Amino acid sequence: MWAYIARRVALTGLMLFGLVCVTFTVSNVAPSDPAALAAGPDATRDMVETIRREYGLDRPLHEQFVRYVSGVVRGDLGRSIVTTRPVVQDLARFFPATLELVLLSMTLGVALGVPLGMMSAVLKNRAPDHLARFVAVSLVALPAFWFGILLQLFFSIWLEWLPTSGRLDLATAPPPHVSGMLLLDSLIAGQGATFGQAFAHAMLPALVLSFPCLASILRVNRAEMIEVLSADYVTAARAHGVSRLRVICVHALRNAMLPTLAIIGLRWGWMLGSTVLVETVFDWPGIGLYAVSSAIAGDFKPVMGVTLLIGLNFMVVNLIVDLLYGVLDPRLRAGA
Amino acid sequence: MAGTHIGRRGAMAAGLGAAGLAAGIGSSAAFELDGSRKILVYAGGQPVPVLDPHVRYDWSTRMIQQSVYDALAKYVNDPPQIVPWLAERWETNPDQTVWTFHLARNARFHNGDPVDAEAVRYSFERGLRLNKGVAWMLKDVLAPEAIAALDAHTVRFTLTRAMPSFLTYIPMWYIVNPKQVQANIANNDYGEGWMATNAAGSGPFRLRRFEPQSLIHMDAVADYWKGWPQGEHRRLSGVIYRVVREPATRRALVQRGEADLITEVPADDFDLLRDARGMKPEDHRGMTTFAITMNTTKGPTADINVRKAIAHAMDYDALMQIHNGAASLMTSPFPEQVPGHIAVPGIPRRNLDRARQFLAQSQYPNGGFELEYVHVQGLEDPRRIGLALLNALQPLNIRVNIVAQPWPTMVARGARAETAPDMVSVYVTPVTTDPDVIAGKYHTRAHGQFWGMHHLSDAQVTQWVEAARVETDAPKRNALYADIQRRVVDLQPEIFGMLANRRWIMRDYVRGFAYCPLRLTGEVDLHPLWIDTA
Repeated sequence: MWAYIARRVALTGLMLFGLVCVTFTVSNVAPSDPAALAAGPDATRDMVETIRREYGLDRPLHEQFVRYVSGVVRGDLGRSIVTTRPVVQDLARFFPATLELVLLSMTLGVALGVPLGMMSAVLKNRAPDHLARFVAVSLVALPAFWFGILLQLFFSIWLEWLPTSGRLDLATAPPPHVSGMLLLDSLIAGQGATFGQAFAHAMLPALVLSFPCLASILRVNRAEMIEVLSADYVTAARAHGVSRLRVICVHALRNAMLPTLAIIGLRWGWMLGSTVLVETVFDWPGIGLYAVSSAIAGDFKPVMGVTLLIGLNFMVVNLIVDLLYGVLDPRLRAGA
Repeated sequence: MAGTHIGRRGAMAAGLGAAGLAAGIGSSAAFELDGSRKILVYAGGQPVPVLDPHVRYDWSTRMIQQSVYDALAKYVNDPPQIVPWLAERWETNPDQTVWTFHLARNARFHNGDPVDAEAVRYSFERGLRLNKGVAWMLKDVLAPEAIAALDAHTVRFTLTRAMPSFLTYIPMWYIVNPKQVQANIANNDYGEGWMATNAAGSGPFRLRRFEPQSLIHMDAVADYWKGWPQGEHRRLSGVIYRVVREPATRRALVQRGEADLITEVPADDFDLLRDARGMKPEDHRGMTTFAITMNTTKGPTADINVRKAIAHAMDYDALMQIHNGAASLMTSPFPEQVPGHIAVPGIPRRNLDRARQFLAQSQYPNGGFELEYVHVQGLEDPRRIGLALLNALQPLNIRVNIVAQPWPTMVARGARAETAPDMVSVYVTPVTTDPDVIAGKYHTRAHGQFWGMHHLSDAQVTQWVEAARVETDAPKRNALYADIQRRVVDLQPEIFGMLANRRWIMRDYVRGFAYCPLRLTGEVDLHPLWIDTA
């Protein structure tokens, strides 16, 4: 097992290096002059050069690459030319907001997707199953950007139930910083009202982000449950008098969860990427919004930093998923 | 703890109307309260990544800078005027090379330090040495060593040559507290790192919370040295600038009363909201010029007759329609509010016969070519203007390929004549009232800037711009600018478009809005605003 983990970690390092190469290349082939953009429309040529020198953009590309890679190894992702702050600082500031959103969305997706998938499988080809499949297909097809605005109109403007955007009411001071995730920090600080506000603000973006994930989990879980429920051991368990509920919720679900876990791992990465759209609609100050603002300004270091962070997250989560496979399936454990 | 005594109060509630967008309009209104005082919430689409007044300015950044800092003078009113602010008065010598400013004696930074001549000297020196942001305005005529604090309340600037526009730049140079800046210097950065997210000013508001991607919360300074025009009893508790990127969300916020004031309102939304109950529109003639810049160095648009044909074929009515009438056609390359503006006779309007005549005189008498029109990705108005251009040029047998590109790509392409697109949509907002900032667009030094994507090289225009830049005799200077305007129209490096109105929607309880066209795009002077609940 430990050798397997070591191999996977080494592979993750290699993949990250590949990601650095790709993001660096893509960022630098785009026809743009970040220094000129940062200097502003009125800047003179020597003002642009001042910024170019300050950020090392006057150096040959290969030198910039070597500097960047050695910086990444030391945990330095460069400086944002727009915010003037180190990218690592900016990421530390914005990532907790994204993490909070993705965790909440994933929780919603799993908490709703798994039971609905089970229900669909058990009631296969009956009205609830048809309805669940119809909803699943619809949720996957909905464009997040459009759906977000629709939800805002309905829940915020018409019903006035939920806030339109942001993380807290405007004049509410955030709870003392511990994790940067307001839900968690407000609980730690014992600020119930702030927790309520933060939860209300997170509901709409989390819903939008969770729906495609919910739909995928529902479909995969349904398909697996149908297969598992027709397996011999399920029939044998029923014949031995094990209750139907226990067979479904314990024996069948445990085996059906393996592909669902894989989907969760894949969706985690997808969700982090999708925050770019959702955070823009809901003005959620996370790394998605940071990446968009930076890309618009031709500020590549933050874009590369965000890409790396998402890539790293994706790889780590998938590693965890692979390890959980072993926990859920003893055959894999033995194989490892 | 901050915020514990703050709450939202629904001030009114009315029933929802019919279904659809109109249902929510004017349905409720609320404002933030801090004790008994109100907090004004302004929602705009542009973040404020850096607060340092010597490093960056754009409309949202400058609005916050203007609120937490003071300058020696300030732009107010329409047409714009420069009024004394930190400086009570100033004088200059006859050749306008030495400027002396006398400071107000009661001005105080937020931490209580006096705003003295040394602070002014340090601030200008810092701006020049950082060589960023505002530095371009004065760096050619002012050396850091040429700024002298004569006594605690008098500061003198000695310029290397006459610069009639000197005073017009002064309101853009904000004064920082040297003690606070110097206490936060790291690696000889003039405090740049610290100043990016902190303030060291003397303005009417002090920074309370700065979240660059989402909101800036400022508290009004109770004993602001310059006082409050609305009266101390009516002044706000503070202002929250909230970054809301989607126009639909901004509209939603003002409808719900979650924002008191919004900007960057699409024309159709503006028309819907302007007459709605509880809303108040502000609709003013702007100074931002819109032009379709043509590459004068390569391709068909290098031919002046092609450019003139295009300019005479353009559908100018469409420009007005796209803005639902909230714009005025340009009568010169200069906005009308700029001193020296003349309505240039013969500036092109749609005339297909003349367009065909010009095309017949060109190297492409029968058209038959395609031109690329580039606009910034995501901006709806320039895209629609591109469609109008496409229609307008069909009778000349000229095809138009409309291309949307990200702003950085567009600017990078336009920086070099070889890669600059045939036609580009360009908005330019002058930062001062001085005609030089507009005339400079047609100087050869503009090549490489986004407004110089025409790459026009005309020795006569360049010479006139240089001469006008240092001419201190106003009538002579205006005569030069008149020549420049006529000549530029004659050379037709651009289709001279329109000046779109500046527009805001606010709740009807907001008072004190004072328009000044010199402010950038959505920028608002927050100092005189207040909320009337009577």
